[in-house]
Amino acid sequence: MNDVSTAIDRLPGVHRIENCSKDDMTSLSMEMTHAVYPHDEVYGQYCSLEEFVDCPPEKAFEYLADVYTLQEWTYSLRDFTPMDESGMVIATDKIGGATKIYTRAVANREAMTVDYHCAWDQGDELWMIYLMRVVPAQLVLKRPGCVILWTNCRHPYYDNNPFPNKAPKDRKVWVGDMWPFFYAGHKVELDNLKHILEYRHANGLPMTIGGKS
Amino acid sequence: MKTVSLIGAASYFPPRIVENSFFQDNEAERPHIMFRGVKQRHHVSREETASGMIVHAARKLADRLNLNLHKDVDILLTNVTSPDQPFTGCGADAAKALGIRPAWILDIHNGGCVSFISMIAQARALMSCYGARTALLCNVQNSAGRLFGSEQTRKLKQARIPGDGCGVAYLTASGESPIKEVVHHNHCEYAGDMTVVRTDGSEWWEPSMACTYVDFNEAKLSHIMSRANRIVPEAIREACRRAELPTSEIGTLITNQPNNLFLRNWREALQVPAQRHVSTFERHGNLFGAALPICLEEAIDSGQLKANSHLVLGGFSHAGDFAASAVIHWKPAC
Repeated sequence: MNDVSTAIDRLPGVHRIENCSKDDMTSLSMEMTHAVYPHDEVYGQYCSLEEFVDCPPEKAFEYLADVYTLQEWTYSLRDFTPMDESGMVIATDKIGGATKIYTRAVANREAMTVDYHCAWDQGDELWMIYLMRVVPAQLVLKRPGCVILWTNCRHPYYDNNPFPNKAPKDRKVWVGDMWPFFYAGHKVELDNLKHILEYRHANGLPMTIGGKS
Repeated sequence: MKTVSLIGAASYFPPRIVENSFFQDNEAERPHIMFRGVKQRHHVSREETASGMIVHAARKLADRLNLNLHKDVDILLTNVTSPDQPFTGCGADAAKALGIRPAWILDIHNGGCVSFISMIAQARALMSCYGARTALLCNVQNSAGRLFGSEQTRKLKQARIPGDGCGVAYLTASGESPIKEVVHHNHCEYAGDMTVVRTDGSEWWEPSMACTYVDFNEAKLSHIMSRANRIVPEAIREACRRAELPTSEIGTLITNQPNNLFLRNWREALQVPAQRHVSTFERHGNLFGAALPICLEEAIDSGQLKANSHLVLGGFSHAGDFAASAVIHWKPAC
């Protein structure tokens, strides 16, 4: 254990109090702290957002875990088909015209995570992964409600469509072309989610919509 | 408001240059990042007075601008970091030494590192309300030699950062190089985070043999940094917005110069390239309020400040209790 610990402290880029004094750590922190950060540096490879929602965490989880609510809070996912045996649903992503989007929601009630595994044009490889987590606000902000965390990672397919033949004819746009706008698009959708969750909770409305639109 | 112009600037430095070795009791120790980047600085000697420094710089300015100080100074404004006397300001002493009798003398004690901008605002108000036509603005930084030159205080990690110097500037009620906008933001909630203390804990006015020095509460350093990151770009952006000047079109940026990280962060926030941001930090250290007029002289003399361009001044004072900015359309007559 000691050997591993020593080896770890020698690894380039590892800073622990054993190999980096408190003064050096402060210096490093100050060096790394800027007044502003370029958009690409912050959102270039990963796009993470978070928002407080005045709705109990269990209800927010229930809403997110119902894949059909995507037609309510997303900007452009509409016309969902019934779910197949594997849990997959097909919808139209109207931002891509007639583009079909294949989605499976993977929810873990205990961890309150809901991951949407999706892809444009085909359902064999669901590579667009939307990672979402609901955190009780009582724990992290000492107030009722929840905090929703949402992260996307820049999968290489965003830069190159591996299945161009499956795209609708004459479609000019590829989902990855919009990566520079992912923060903006997801912020708009997260705001939608917040307002809808707060509305449904405040008015005692059901938190699932199932196959109904 | 009367149109007031910035005409010129001049500096004076005490002859004594202090190298980094003066401060290092352990050569191997790397200074804290907030206290790095100064190669040398000037220190006032025991005999040197603030008013004497003003006299040197004012005479240089008078030669440069061909002024007759006896009749060409309606307003004398001073800001001195370490006053010669606790009760009186330095303005009357400086006027006496220069042999002049301005109609208005104001010793401005607050405003710290951006007191130069406060003095511009004061001069403009006096010119607008009382018909004064000319103003001599004087910033003296003399706390490096006075507070950080002793055996005890020079070992403090912040001791290497301050440097002494005097910067003066001249304003006239004219349209030559008009001051287009002045922005003042008081952030009183941050008052009290920079204090003058004694090594034995006594108050500065109590009898003691202990040294006096300026202390930054280390626990608050990160807060001060985050404040400075926010309040300085905020003040400068507001001044630029009012002057209808996109910050990317700032011709010359001059800020106070507390350390290289602040300078980097302000440039980045305003999208001003380093070559347009004039600083003498490496040679002179933190000049407190004197940095603005001293860097202004540097910008004029080096040719960085070009005719018909926009000069933007900005910065913050103490630990963030005040931020200010000014936009000047620089178009000197000759």
